[in-house]
Amino acid sequence: MADVAVSCADVWKSYRVYHQRSHTLKEKVLSRRNMYEEFWALKDVNLEVAVGSTVGVVGANGSGKSTLLKTMAGILFPNKGRVTVNGSVSPLLELGTGFHPELTGRENVALAGSLLGHSRRDMERKYDSIVEFAGIENFMDIPVKNYSTGMYTRLAFAVAISVDPEILLIDEVLSVGDESFQLRCHERIAELRADGRTVVLVSHSLDTVRALCKRAVWIEKGEVRKVGLSHEVVAAYLGGVHQQVADNRPRQPRPENRYGTGAAEITSVSFLDSDGDESPSFCTGQPFTVRVAYAATEPIDDATCGIAVFRADSHAYVFGQSTHGARIKLRLSEAGTIDMTVPALPVLKGQYLVTVSLERAEVKEVFDLHDREYSFVVIDNPALPTGDGLFHVPTTWTLSQSTVPA
Amino acid sequence: MATTISGPRRPDPAPLAGRATRVVAWIRELAGARDLTANLVRRDLKVRHRGTFLGMLWSLTTPLLIVGLYYFIFKLLFPQSPATDVARPDGRSVPFAVYFFAGLTIWNLFASSILTSATSVTSAGYMLNKVYFPRAILPLSTVLSALVTFGFELCVLLLVTLAVVGLPSAQLLWLPVIVAVVVALAFGLAMLLSAVNVFLRDTAHFLAVFVQLWFWGTPIIYSLRFVSRRPGLARLLKLNPMTGTVVSFRNVVVLNHAPSFKLLAYDVGCALVALVIGATVFARFQRTFSEIV
Repeated sequence: MADVAVSCADVWKSYRVYHQRSHTLKEKVLSRRNMYEEFWALKDVNLEVAVGSTVGVVGANGSGKSTLLKTMAGILFPNKGRVTVNGSVSPLLELGTGFHPELTGRENVALAGSLLGHSRRDMERKYDSIVEFAGIENFMDIPVKNYSTGMYTRLAFAVAISVDPEILLIDEVLSVGDESFQLRCHERIAELRADGRTVVLVSHSLDTVRALCKRAVWIEKGEVRKVGLSHEVVAAYLGGVHQQVADNRPRQPRPENRYGTGAAEITSVSFLDSDGDESPSFCTGQPFTVRVAYAATEPIDDATCGIAVFRADSHAYVFGQSTHGARIKLRLSEAGTIDMTVPALPVLKGQYLVTVSLERAEVKEVFDLHDREYSFVVIDNPALPTGDGLFHVPTTWTLSQSTVPA
Repeated sequence: MATTISGPRRPDPAPLAGRATRVVAWIRELAGARDLTANLVRRDLKVRHRGTFLGMLWSLTTPLLIVGLYYFIFKLLFPQSPATDVARPDGRSVPFAVYFFAGLTIWNLFASSILTSATSVTSAGYMLNKVYFPRAILPLSTVLSALVTFGFELCVLLLVTLAVVGLPSAQLLWLPVIVAVVVALAFGLAMLLSAVNVFLRDTAHFLAVFVQLWFWGTPIIYSLRFVSRRPGLARLLKLNPMTGTVVSFRNVVVLNHAPSFKLLAYDVGCALVALVIGATVFARFQRTFSEIV
């Protein structure tokens, strides 16, 4: 099928776990045989990743997530079954793969770039943006062994996110670095997604998987347990781990960011695209819906639901809306959902944090408030002119005769 | 936003494809990774010479030292030099040191190729486990970096010959052919040895000893004519695939003679056999490299 980027058909992969592996002739002769145990890391995995989809892989340590990714990358070969890959693949399994301490930053960028499959011309084109992101222009001609850990990580990270394959395989790379790295990484994945590339992401961070991936796979002891929408899979995985009821409830907000009387509770917050599907990222100018699900112990008549959006980088307050402000009467009964739709999202590229609250409309009484507990990513809309600041502002420009170029 | 698509395109392993198709696909894959190969060669050379004042000149020190030592032994201690019977068609005589230096230069290309490439896969474990690339570029890039060092030594050899002996003849045009045969032989053996060394780490140690013996079994410090009084030994020497290339290299570079075509043809055969066996063994085992290294 042409619309499948990666397909695994009946893939089995085993490792031999040697009690003591003999590497030399003496050991081979003296020990009668190599003692080992067969360990099946993947058992009959069947999986298809559609072109243009972003798929998360979740599972406990040792469940076979990384083995699956390495099999897709061609680093490991399955014992049985077939892995078929349709397109160019870049695996990002660690930062700074191929970096040599004796080489300068410039030389390492070229080497690591070619290791990730870039041609030299590609790397020359990307070089300036890599250096700019790493922010170490003055250090590019000294050996990386003289770099600080921070400089090294920045450079390695800048090289990693410069990749531009049809299929990107990421393993935990997101979990290093500070928030600005993570933000840039999320943006990059969103850009690749918007460009129709395929991304497979292995992560321990369920939030990351839920935030970045529409679909997810749960692997346990080498077997695929569940494939589906990422919030469902994550919920099932959490259910499996904690013996909880999988109730489609996102993570519990951190207690320090939550307060209220509890007369009504926010049970989930999700961001929906124009199709009504949950999505982690949106384009400027496209429809954007926040869906708040709640549960109330007893009916509340004079309630209001407030939603406030902040920039993740500066925590600047971008906008706030409420049902009360929109002069909508809100009655909270047992359970339900409230949707706020922005027909054309006006904010520019970046990561945003969202505060959601349920309050009494006239008096100051908070039932439940989750402060900046939810996030989404906005990427550039190629159809709109670029701009700076917080908002996309539709503009017209008028030039007098003398300012028009000949 | 960039819209070009790059990244290594992994060939689909087609089990039904014929042998020829697979060979073509393999070569195409190697060619596709030429930027990576070039970068690995560059890394090898830079890392070896970084921080040294003389840089590439250091690669000359060992051969020059050896030449000086043997010159001292055979010219001054034992005046019965094993290569005294050498003369050029133009009547100029070739000093033993130059004669020996020539043989040593082409031998070093071969010896350092197989010695460094034997560990090329085992020492690249950190890369094998993290990215996919055609594994054969590991032995290939070590052979190529030996070739770059050789090119440098060759320039010195040509200058020395020009200064001490005289102008080369048109026979020098055979030089690329001879070098190509050595590189092919070395790459074939490099694939074989680097793959075997993954499973049996003795290989690299064994090889270090064996290459020493091989050196004495190749007419580098002596001429083939020197052993012609012992026909059995001479016949044995001619089975050594490096004999023809060393003799031919020396002929075209310093002696202005034609290459030894008969021996060279045998070497071409050996090189092809080495390439086929090396590539077959390497292809057979390369899938498990990332698990074992």
